[in-house]
Amino acid sequence: MIKVEGIELEYFGSVSLEVKQGSVCKVITKSDSMKNMLMDIILGLKKPAVGRVFLLGKDIYSISEKEYIKLFRMVGVVSEDGSMVSNLKIWENIVLPLWYHNRSLPADIEDRVINITAGMGIETSYLRELAGRLPGPVPDQVKRLMGLTRTMLMEPDLMIYGSIFEGMAQKTAERLISMTARFHAGKPGRTSVYITSDPLSVAGIEADQTLEIGR
Amino acid sequence: MTGIIDARKMWGKHIANALSYAQGYYELLCYTIRNIGVLRVAPVRSVFYKQVYFTGIEALSKVSAIGILIGVVIITQVVNIVGPDAVLIGKILAWTIVRELGPLLAAVIIIARSGTAIASELGSMMVNREADSLKVMGIDPVDYLLLPRIAGITVSVFILTFYFQVATIAGGLAFTSLFKGFPFFQHLKGISSILSSFEIAVSLLKSLIFGCTISIISCYQGFNVESSITEIPQASTRAVMQSLFLVFIFDGIITMVFFL
Repeated sequence: MIKVEGIELEYFGSVSLEVKQGSVCKVITKSDSMKNMLMDIILGLKKPAVGRVFLLGKDIYSISEKEYIKLFRMVGVVSEDGSMVSNLKIWENIVLPLWYHNRSLPADIEDRVINITAGMGIETSYLRELAGRLPGPVPDQVKRLMGLTRTMLMEPDLMIYGSIFEGMAQKTAERLISMTARFHAGKPGRTSVYITSDPLSVAGIEADQTLEIGR
Repeated sequence: MTGIIDARKMWGKHIANALSYAQGYYELLCYTIRNIGVLRVAPVRSVFYKQVYFTGIEALSKVSAIGILIGVVIITQVVNIVGPDAVLIGKILAWTIVRELGPLLAAVIIIARSGTAIASELGSMMVNREADSLKVMGIDPVDYLLLPRIAGITVSVFILTFYFQVATIAGGLAFTSLFKGFPFFQHLKGISSILSSFEIAVSLLKSLIFGCTISIISCYQGFNVESSITEIPQASTRAVMQSLFLVFIFDGIITMVFFL
């Protein structure tokens, strides 16, 4: 599902890893900057000087831009800042990829969003208030939850979580961990990868594989 | 001697930069033409509508006000020179506004108002890595961020040029009829008899080319901001200066081709 072959991370040396399809994997890096660098490389955003990266069987640095875009319809990425588009309201941010790829929104979209966010402990009244706001002044942790909602709506084959439990209250983190575990089991063959530099934040995750990078 | 070599190097750098921008603008234009069908995708169309609203509709009152004031200024000067010759006043007003000032001033207003806004908005999105976020959502940032803006500004400049011309001519004529006692409808009739569909078509062609130029340059400059916030004002300045420069060049070329 993910295969990294001998990439060179600036200041951190060579890295290779492989995550099998259908598995849950924790990748624990030595530092936050190493995690950011590794995520950028895995997501095809920063080409490494040497080595190759395969995502869903494709060498992401040798495919065309159009193939890359198509490939990422099957990949869900949740980052710690929620990756919001600043000039779209929170609701528009949540539905954007689904709306873009399916050309229209399903009739039950509101119910689906309410269901997902309720699982995160967000009340419907707060969600409604949040939906019409621009992401700028919204706290990062809330944006992170909205980013997670957006990604879950897409039902991807591969989920990559970047430090999403860090800084969360223990109860919220536990709730999210069990939620992502249920989401993983919700589609046969789905792969989930948790990348973090804080091993404690992912301690509660039952993983098939734990990879320590540079530690 | 060192000074001459430095000057040559500097000119060489400027020329290389200009060529690189020209190539970038040309590629973006070709990409836009090839992929304009992406406007069928609902979220992209939504960005297009927002852009038309921001550039075309929100600017309407300002463009009309400036148009009326310019109409008043021009007609005052014309009346001072040619006296109460309704046909000649109509000719001068129509030719000045429809052939030259209408498309040019509408473009200048859009450059000042929307060109800078787009370059800085896109620039800050690039600094915040929002284009990367779109990519990993499987959304092409060029299709989603640039194409609807290019189409929206082009359409807006086209429409605003028309409104600007109407406001300028109407403002000028209203002023002369109110303060100089010239018959409004007689002048209007004179103008409509002078204007041919060819002149209107060339004027609208100019507005289309200007709109395309402004939008391509502003989007390209904003989208090429990399990681530093200090690049944003630089990109906005480049967008404004290059848009102005190219709009005047294209204006000269079109005028020479059609009216010389």
